Amino acid sequence: MNEEDTILIIDDEKQIRRLLEITLSASGYKVIQSINGRDGLIDAATHRPSLIILDLGLPDTDGQKILKKLREWYQKPVIILSVRDSEEDIIKALDNGANDYLTKPFRTGELLARIRAALRSENEMADSAVITFGSLTIDCTSHVVRKNNEMLKLTATEFSLLLLLAKNRGRVLTHQYILKEVWGYKYIEQTQYLRVFVAQLRKKIEDNPSKPSLLITESGIGYRFGE
Amino acid sequence: MELNRNKKQKINHFLLAALITGGTALLCAPLANTQNYHVVSFILLFVVSILATFMGTGPVLLASTLSAIFWNFFFIPPHYTFHIEKTEDILIFGLFFIIALVNGVLTTRVRKQEKLVRDREKRTNALFQLTKELSKASGINEVLKVAINEIRNHFHIDSLFILQDGENTLRNSGRLQKEKQLTPEEYNAAKWAFKNARKAGALSPHPMGIDFTIYPLQGNRVSPGVVIVKLENEFTTDQQSYWDTFLVQISNALEREFLGEMAQRVRFLDESDRLYKTLFNSISHELRIPVATIMGASDSMLNSSNSSVMQSALSNEIFTASLRLNRLIENLLNISRLESGHISARLDWYDMNDLVNKVADDLKNELKSFTLKIDVPEEMPLVKIDFGLMEQVLYNLLINSTQYAPPASDILLSISYSSQTMLIEVSDNGPGFSEKEISLVFKKFFRVNENKTGGLGLGLSIAKGFVEAHSGTISIENRDEGGAKFSIRIPTEEPDIKNLQETGNE
Repeated sequence: MNEEDTILIIDDEKQIRRLLEITLSASGYKVIQSINGRDGLIDAATHRPSLIILDLGLPDTDGQKILKKLREWYQKPVIILSVRDSEEDIIKALDNGANDYLTKPFRTGELLARIRAALRSENEMADSAVITFGSLTIDCTSHVVRKNNEMLKLTATEFSLLLLLAKNRGRVLTHQYILKEVWGYKYIEQTQYLRVFVAQLRKKIEDNPSKPSLLITESGIGYRFGE
Repeated sequence: MELNRNKKQKINHFLLAALITGGTALLCAPLANTQNYHVVSFILLFVVSILATFMGTGPVLLASTLSAIFWNFFFIPPHYTFHIEKTEDILIFGLFFIIALVNGVLTTRVRKQEKLVRDREKRTNALFQLTKELSKASGINEVLKVAINEIRNHFHIDSLFILQDGENTLRNSGRLQKEKQLTPEEYNAAKWAFKNARKAGALSPHPMGIDFTIYPLQGNRVSPGVVIVKLENEFTTDQQSYWDTFLVQISNALEREFLGEMAQRVRFLDESDRLYKTLFNSISHELRIPVATIMGASDSMLNSSNSSVMQSALSNEIFTASLRLNRLIENLLNISRLESGHISARLDWYDMNDLVNKVADDLKNELKSFTLKIDVPEEMPLVKIDFGLMEQVLYNLLINSTQYAPPASDILLSISYSSQTMLIEVSDNGPGFSEKEISLVFKKFFRVNENKTGGLGLGLSIAKGFVEAHSGTISIENRDEGGAKFSIRIPTEEPDIKNLQETGNE
């Protein structure tokens, strides 16, 4: 965490804002609040927060539109916090550039973890040549992956998949996005490829493949690389 | 109309009888002056017999009388007088007259009898037809249609039915057919006939100043209403009994429909009343318990300086209560989505291990006091499902098991695949279900042991709805070794991964 990361909350529900302020302040973040989309855009421009927590059901503008407007110039993480829980809404928000999506009601512990992950990957974005997760190290230049110092034999596809997820650590990547990045446009419907490779990859990198801690499934949405 | 035609036909018959008799006499004129005038009597007798085969008694009597007169007047000497000279001619004349009469009358009577039998047969057939049509008709409107049609076919009259409203009152607007509006007098007469169960209107002891005749329809338990017809003449005794039988059949059919409708209405009211009460009771109960916990726990956190152990215990209670509230809301939302038909499975390829791990992880607190045994075969293929829906299904089934299985027992979740079908089985060591419960568990708001376990009784009906959204089936049985087993079968295909693509972008 930088000395004091600023987090902007754009949400019209007073009680949610108050809860977030208490929780986030207690964790050492500085909190700014906006009660609608228009104010939110202004606050984002003036305060340049390190992260934005955005509600989708805003009184003036739809949150998805605010997200798109923000993404025209704002590169830092945006986490959606909404009661909308349909897969369509979630995928759309992720496609519009959200880093993560949490549905209300949510666990504050979970939210804090997602914020930490988003901020950290933000800070690590500076292409480090070697990425480390506990006992797993990925050398991006030599394409060597080690677990407990043992070299893992990964196929080219497994490696691209791992690298894509690891570089976006903490961020939910949709099935379509992963398929497009790893296999190419033609394959974005071929979810079955992704499933097979994820299962293979888990067997190689996870301590317990049936309780994955690195390659985490996001129900019906995609995958997220945890720690 | 019918009767007028009959009258005209009768007059025609008299004329015809006279003409034919006269004509025959005229044709026989050449025989008048011979000794063969006896032959004429035979010819005339023959003609009368012929007439009797198709004419009524009156014309035949006329023909016999006329032929006797003609024979006497023109043929028996002395001619052109009614005087008869020979004694034997007097005898023959007398016999002639009697034979003509008896012959004519007997023949017509036989014909009448025959016609009666034919009519009766026709009526029996018509009644049989009516009964058959009425028993085929379902619903009051169809019964009425059949009744009106059959009355038109067999009585040549139009009829109008007014039925009661189910509360033993005839209503002018109620079930009246559209074509005709009743005048106030007619409506009053109809009401009178219905109330007193007696015939009213024209051609009845209670004319009430209207042109129509109104007959009450009487069933054994319910009087369905009245029928209104316009009659030209009173019915004959025969027709009357025919008509009465007709009405009894129609009344019975209408009564049958009435009783059916009433029973259905009562059932419906009972059912919705029961549903409303259950829903209301359980929702308020289900909401109140967690809200009470949250209020109580947070209140004591605010008002006293508890130890940190105490504090964390209280927050734990609040957290659990809010999870319960959240689950309640989820279930209500899901059931209303199912009810409104907004559920459609968005199928995609999934690894069942993912699904199982996700659900087991979500339920790790609830499953703490049980041993969850998961059995997914190594060679389990990918399946095409809606992840979100199936997640809910497994979640609900496992939650259900945790509520009924004894603590520290095993809950078994096994998944297998054969011939394009995925089989998911959840078994527990709980008390199982009774025969009656087995048929009810998937019904909304049904709960075994109403008070022991919480919940609205929605979980299993949601599971069923979601499984069916996958064109699958869910069933329940008791295991031989005790406890219940839920089996879900979902049709799926095998994924196309033969030419699994390694990427080339290295």
